Amino acid sequence: MTIQRGVSLYSYQQSQFLKELMLEDQIREVGRNLGGADGIELIDEMSLRYPDPGDDFRRQWFAWMEAYGTKPVAMDVGMDVLQFRDHVMTHEECADRLRQDIRLAKSLGFANVRVLSVVPVDILVSALPLAEQLDIRLGKEIHQPMRLEGREVGDILDVIERTGTRHLGIVPDLGIFQFRPSEVLLSWLERRGAQPTASLASVDLALAIHRGESPFDLTAVHRHTAGNLRSDLGRFLTTGESAPELLDVFEGVKRYTDERVTDPEAIDYRTVAEALMLSRTSAETLRQIAPHVIHVHGKFNNMSEVPGAPGRYQEISIDYDAAIGALKAGGFDGYINSEYEGQRYFQDRGREDLMDEVDQVRRHQELLRRLIAA
Amino acid sequence: MFENFLIRSDSLRNEVRDGKTVGFTLAVRHANYRGCYLSLHNGYYVEVDGTQYATDRQTFEINGQAPRSFDEIRTAVHEHWNYDDEAVLHVEAPGGLAPGEHTLRFQQSVLAAYGYLPTDEEWVKNPPTPGSGAGSDKTPEIVAYRLTLTEPEKN
Repeated sequence: MTIQRGVSLYSYQQSQFLKELMLEDQIREVGRNLGGADGIELIDEMSLRYPDPGDDFRRQWFAWMEAYGTKPVAMDVGMDVLQFRDHVMTHEECADRLRQDIRLAKSLGFANVRVLSVVPVDILVSALPLAEQLDIRLGKEIHQPMRLEGREVGDILDVIERTGTRHLGIVPDLGIFQFRPSEVLLSWLERRGAQPTASLASVDLALAIHRGESPFDLTAVHRHTAGNLRSDLGRFLTTGESAPELLDVFEGVKRYTDERVTDPEAIDYRTVAEALMLSRTSAETLRQIAPHVIHVHGKFNNMSEVPGAPGRYQEISIDYDAAIGALKAGGFDGYINSEYEGQRYFQDRGREDLMDEVDQVRRHQELLRRLIAA
Repeated sequence: MFENFLIRSDSLRNEVRDGKTVGFTLAVRHANYRGCYLSLHNGYYVEVDGTQYATDRQTFEINGQAPRSFDEIRTAVHEHWNYDDEAVLHVEAPGGLAPGEHTLRFQQSVLAAYGYLPTDEEWVKNPPTPGSGAGSDKTPEIVAYRLTLTEPEKN
């Protein structure tokens, strides 16, 4: 078994937006500057002229792969159900869009297609025959605050068991191993008015939950998406109302904040509540399902230097040791692709304060290289 | 996302048609890390120096075509607005804007999302009004810009 390294070009979204690095520059960076990484993952609607980039592009694409020694590992596809505007797309219409994307991925030599965590499983089942025919593996992403222990993974494993397919599996986003709010998210919230004591309280609460010492019952939280939790918390703070099963949690967060932050405002409660948005999934589950992992999103928000160790880097909010250890112990054979997401927490500032995506990915690859070899 | 970079800073200019100043234009980008089908594009919250310009006074120029109203844009169900491409938002404002610096408050509304949402059926019948935050999932707050009017291009 081997774990290989690649990059999701999602990591370079800001450089592309600002026209600092276009697609060829991004591929060259992966192939030439990351010490043996060779996997390319991209989002079709970010990196390509969609839905058909054309035959000239295809020729160019394969020439780049050869020139820079890179491989098309995964294409990430979306599902916008209001495309037709006069009705909500049916599952079969979504499956048609997925089939279109599978054909596009095949035409560019990709081995895997990643679908969003929220895609209903019957859509995947509908597209599976085409995926098998074209030898494309479909991977459902499992993204924070979902957990590997939930129905989303169970549904996929059921289909695999029932059909014996080798073309369906899971794409874990390592953000599910996040155990405290990222320092760059907290700084962004502080620029919006959160008090530093609220950031501290958020980290303390997250770490208490991580140790199994949550001051309140969190069972209800995992049934909601982070977006829904945030909007329901907003409703609770203005009206005192929320989904009934979340009332105890929100009252707990409010109490926890009131005890630690002077004259807290909505932004302070929101900051503390970030401690609830984490998956707290189990590395043991990842080890068990490793044979069904298609590829991995190596999510990170900030790579900082390990104190006292120049040239070594860490992600202080995500348990990379546990995640990579579990992939190795479970015999995972495939790519971990760097997926940098923290650049968005600086875009409220001037251009001179933006993060350097190239440097962040290089740092993350140092971490991956070290942990894979360990 | 891209809060401070959604409008090109040198792009605010008056629009002159047949010798008359009919309004102003702005060059804009996706408030997301990807493009999407053009039909999903639902208009803008645009406020200049306290005056708001509703979606029915806006037209949108993309993909080499003449500016289209957002009623036309919603029928572009197979046309894609790609991530790399700048679009031009035209706003009807007879007489245009005064020379000098202006305060713009701005939000893009695009009905793109991660799969099915509880609001889907409602948004088919009644799309959200730009500026409410709805349909702006990656940039849910209105962003303020200070922009200086650039001289219009001569036709």
